[in-house]
Amino acid sequence: MSADIHLMIPTTPTVEVDDRQLVQTIREGDTDAFELLVRRKTSKVYALCYRIIGNAEDAKDISQLVFIKLWENLEKYDPAYAFDTWLYRMVTNVAIDFMRNKQSRDNAVNSTLRLVKTAADAEQGVVVQRKEVENVFNDVSSVLSPKQKTIFVMNQMEDLPSAEIAKILGCRESTVRNHLFNARKLMQQQLYKRYPEYAQLWRER
Amino acid sequence: MMSCETFRMNFHESTEDAALLAHLRTCDRCLDFAATADPDVMFRALGGDDLVPPGGIDAFVDDVMRQVRVRDAEITVTAPHPVSWTRRLAVAATLAAAVTGATLVYRYDTAAPPATRLVRAPIAVQRAALTTKPSVETYQSESATIVEVPADQNDNVKVVMIFDESLPADL
Repeated sequence: MSADIHLMIPTTPTVEVDDRQLVQTIREGDTDAFELLVRRKTSKVYALCYRIIGNAEDAKDISQLVFIKLWENLEKYDPAYAFDTWLYRMVTNVAIDFMRNKQSRDNAVNSTLRLVKTAADAEQGVVVQRKEVENVFNDVSSVLSPKQKTIFVMNQMEDLPSAEIAKILGCRESTVRNHLFNARKLMQQQLYKRYPEYAQLWRER
Repeated sequence: MMSCETFRMNFHESTEDAALLAHLRTCDRCLDFAATADPDVMFRALGGDDLVPPGGIDAFVDDVMRQVRVRDAEITVTAPHPVSWTRRLAVAATLAAAVTGATLVYRYDTAAPPATRLVRAPIAVQRAALTTKPSVETYQSESATIVEVPADQNDNVKVVMIFDESLPADL
């Protein structure tokens, strides 16, 4: 009997609306649909911003700016292309702009500051800790250009293939690979200089 | 979820295996192992998961929507009253017609010869009145000033003005 009753309860199938359909609904003036889109994409957008910028509060502000720009420019989206590619392009543009401004400010203030670990630390060996790796990354990646860092983050942390990154940034795949190669090289140099204990990992290979 | 043992057995340099990377990003012990085997993988451990902004997703979304509404309101207030394209077209057509008409009228006024003839008609009447006075064929005087009035090339009559104190006033 209870099984019969259960069957009679109307079920509402939760059909996930495609991003393109959602954008179409927003273009027709549905603000609630935009809220749904923001909710859906917040984690991805924020994660990418955070990894590029390296600061939670700045990343939050930049993510909000991205969504406001998204709202203002939604008419320009061409549904022939994947929505995420278009969204990521917007994120990278805003984040790179922010990084360029930030770098010029930081260079003016902190040009002589440098964290250097002693050779004695290197002798003691190292246990790789996640939180520490995050700090190391934020430190050594500061020598990268905003574009190099963005490409490194998208490839190494977001696992996007270089072809997809090329689409997002509107450049050639070979350019992406070059940036990636240079980014790795620069970061290894910085690692030797600032974190000899981690750089030893490379030396031991 | 992959076990640490499976991860260590299958991990190799420059791996792109999604399952291996997923494990690497959640297991601290395996991160240390992987970094020793392939230092390049160290920073890869930072990626993978989607992150939640400070304050949580709800607060973030509320902030965004509030800003969107404020911007929308600003646009509504500052935007000029919308004019339909048909009305714009009508205004443009009226302006074009007015300019064209004014140009045509101006050209007609400056170039049309009948207007000149109409002006000359009263002059002919004046000439007729002048003929009632004695016409002078020749005139000689030492004190007179003679001014020749410009005339059309086709006109045989030559009109001169004579200023002479010695002449009678009614001549």
